[in-house]
Amino acid sequence: MSQAITYTEDTLVAALRNHNNDAYKHLYVHYRGALYSIITQFIADTEIANDVLQDVFVAVWKNIDKYDETKGRLFTWLHTLTRNTTINTTRSKNYKSQQKNDTIEDFVYTLDLNDTHQQNINTIGLRKQVHLLREDYKNVLELSYYNGFTQEEIAKALDIPIGTVKTRLRNALIELRKQFV
Amino acid sequence: MNIENYISSGIIEQYVMGLCSAEEKNELELLRHKDAVLNKAIINFEIEFEQRMMRNAFLPGVQTDDKILASLQALGTPVVSINTNTKKTTKFSWVKIAAAASVLLFAVSAFFNYTQYEKNKAQAAELAAKNNLPQSLPVANYSILKDPNITPVAMMGVGYHAICRCTMFWDKKTGKAYVMIHHLVPSGDNNEYQLWANVNGKQVSVGMINDAIRDRFIEVSGVPEGSKEFIVTMEKNGGATVPDADVVLKGTV
Repeated sequence: MSQAITYTEDTLVAALRNHNNDAYKHLYVHYRGALYSIITQFIADTEIANDVLQDVFVAVWKNIDKYDETKGRLFTWLHTLTRNTTINTTRSKNYKSQQKNDTIEDFVYTLDLNDTHQQNINTIGLRKQVHLLREDYKNVLELSYYNGFTQEEIAKALDIPIGTVKTRLRNALIELRKQFV
Repeated sequence: MNIENYISSGIIEQYVMGLCSAEEKNELELLRHKDAVLNKAIINFEIEFEQRMMRNAFLPGVQTDDKILASLQALGTPVVSINTNTKKTTKFSWVKIAAAASVLLFAVSAFFNYTQYEKNKAQAAELAAKNNLPQSLPVANYSILKDPNITPVAMMGVGYHAICRCTMFWDKKTGKAYVMIHHLVPSGDNNEYQLWANVNGKQVSVGMINDAIRDRFIEVSGVPEGSKEFIVTMEKNGGATVPDADVVLKGTV
């Protein structure tokens, strides 16, 4: 009878770098729920969300050597990879064309923060907490976290100084963290 | 820079959630290697964020699980050459390379320790005379490096602490160990490093390590017999009864 392998973060990363199948299975089983919940905060369509989840794990397999443990925990890297992959998907032409209510012509500068298709997404998680924040905090977090805008892009989109963007973003995150407990 | 203000400014949350500008990211990554309190604050939020996301996880369907697991398995399946004239296809083993590199690193480290000692002998003697450092080994005892009874243990940085390194020389006869710090992030005024031995699965405190002592061995006594592994954690001054979950260094006997 085979014995289940228990991993520490270090041994898991080493096994992932060695492209060990068991390690990838462990990674998938352990993290799929958390990563899937990130994706579904952005994407309502289950089929597309499933495809993005697959893209994320394939990206882990291909890029695990780029993971640098001195810069963050494995989950932090997985989170960033998932968020980036998801944002790239939502920016793709194919995705946009599939969104019935999506009337955004210029995604970068004319985003409607109350876009109707986003009402259907998973709002049980982090995004619900973001929406509980005061309006100006919610707006910068929506543009920054959920749409991948740079601080300069947010300043331009909201027509406010970049210093104000920085302040609002940090204050918004401090408020958001209080809701984690 | 006031580090407490920096920590509470929201920059850590911004960094962990991937919302920093390139400049902010570079600055924070530079600072975290110089300041253990900041480093710990970052790790704490990473853990908090991970726990928050894990609590609210929800699973995709079973069919999706099967599909993704199959695709990962396919990626991991080695490609076998059908050309019988070629040599057998072997998978590049990073584990073996890492193991070989660790052995090499340790050998270089031990050699470095010895040559460094020889080089700095006079300087160390002078330092010892100037500073009364009870924890550090008298210069005359540096011959431990040549002692065949000594078991060397390479202590490597864990996770975020990958840049940290120590080498421990354990004298199983006397129960003493001599720790040489190669790199440790300064622990600050309120914290200090603590050495633990794993004995039959239990972590037993061996003693505190003064990270200010460099180029000298730090002597610790009472290392339990049968220790299989050693770890170093950062604790509040005076030490803890159980090690902090954030292991800084780990070395296997």
